[in-house]
Amino acid sequence: MVRFKNRWLLVEFIDTSTADASAAKEPLSTRSLDGRLIYNALRDSVVTNFGDTGWGAVGMSLTVKYFSPTTNLCIIRVARDHHRIAWGAVTLLTGIHDVRVIPRVIHVSGTIKHAQLSAIAHNRDVIARFRTKLKNAALHHDSYDDYLARSTREIEALQD
Amino acid sequence: MHFDLNFPVTASGSTSQPKKNKNKQPQQSSSTAFTPAQIKGIEARLDLLEHCLFISRYDTLSLRFNQSVNKKIDPKTHVNILDELLKQLRARPGTVFLKRLTIVLDNDSEKGFGLANANASLVEPYDVIALLPTTSATFSLACLTHSLPSPLTAHIIALPLTLPRLPFQLKHTLVRTAIKNGAVFEINYAGAIGGESDASLSTFGVSDTGVSGKRNWWAAAREVVRVAKGKGIVVSGGVASEADYRGPKDIANLLTLLGLAQNLAHDASVAAPKSLILRAQARKTYRAVLSEPRLMIPEATQVVPPTQQTGGGENMRHNSIISEPSPDAASTNGRQEAGL
Repeated sequence: MVRFKNRWLLVEFIDTSTADASAAKEPLSTRSLDGRLIYNALRDSVVTNFGDTGWGAVGMSLTVKYFSPTTNLCIIRVARDHHRIAWGAVTLLTGIHDVRVIPRVIHVSGTIKHAQLSAIAHNRDVIARFRTKLKNAALHHDSYDDYLARSTREIEALQD
Repeated sequence: MHFDLNFPVTASGSTSQPKKNKNKQPQQSSSTAFTPAQIKGIEARLDLLEHCLFISRYDTLSLRFNQSVNKKIDPKTHVNILDELLKQLRARPGTVFLKRLTIVLDNDSEKGFGLANANASLVEPYDVIALLPTTSATFSLACLTHSLPSPLTAHIIALPLTLPRLPFQLKHTLVRTAIKNGAVFEINYAGAIGGESDASLSTFGVSDTGVSGKRNWWAAAREVVRVAKGKGIVVSGGVASEADYRGPKDIANLLTLLGLAQNLAHDASVAAPKSLILRAQARKTYRAVLSEPRLMIPEATQVVPPTQQTGGGENMRHNSIISEPSPDAASTNGRQEAGL
């Protein structure tokens, strides 16, 4: 009746430092990020763009549930009523801890189940794209398969 | 199908075009060749857009390369840089490239800024024309005279959203006329992210970056949405640096934060630009008539049907075919031409 409704945002942080062909000497990479840094960056973004009232609307329920440094995939849980504020804050992020990123929300769902399914499907998509780029289907089965299995397990282990 | 109507491109050689004197020879040799490094940069941005943001097996992307021109188009100094560029970029399946010209209007352009019959050949190769008014007089000029269907009509009215206190008031009547005539108003989302906007725009004094730029963006964009009531709005990039691109759903969410309803926000990036491109193709026709009326001769010799009803049904069907050739023909026409 008075159930607490959530929205689960599946966000991919696209690394612009490596997307750029002419990389600098030490490209700051998203390998060094983790959930805590993302949470801090999100909090700053909400406060800068939507003020203290924005943070008040969203802050209590905002959690970073999962982050994988290899695919830059992040799962964020927000309350449903003001999830658009959190979504806007994610979009307006330009960098996390001095790493320039492009945030891209892949999927928004109301249950964790579908967020998990979408995350697993997205991982498979990304791996498939890697493989077509390498044009070498047979050889790299080991490393990617292993990674896929591991990440699928991690994702499915998420609790509400 | 998603659209990004504003992919700003600046020429390599030219810094700022000679502003007032039409008769002076252009001092810098405006070389239209793009250096390989620039090509690589542009290709990298295109890669980013395509693979990272718009990926989906069913989506295509349509990009409008934007060339900005100051104040007036001169036949002598104006150089079409986009043709060269398009030849050098490799064709991507799933992306359509189009050409757009933006004319920045300010006080000097009140007398006339080259969008006249004499210069029709100059604007011909561009698919879309946009105007960027900065004063109220130019704004009313843009809304009223230049949105009428004709070979010179402007299709997009872009507004400088990051200037402090939008210098003119968006009058409801003007905006409504423009939308009724088919012009659309453009919102560039680069201003919200606070990124460094197109370099050429800032030399024209139209944009402002940093914190105040962002604040002005929110205020002005909200105003545009309110006055246009969500109908003739198109959202586009205007992004100069790579790190400012955002995916289409994220932009639609930003628009909902501006007060636009969810379905209208989605339309602003999908449906409105599509009809805009169709309308842009109408520039090549007389007064925006796109359809080829087909002559339907009702089949008079039908075997007499057993009941009266089917006879009536067939007649009605013929009537409906006759009375509506335009949407079908227009849409197939448009699709053929847009598919290139």
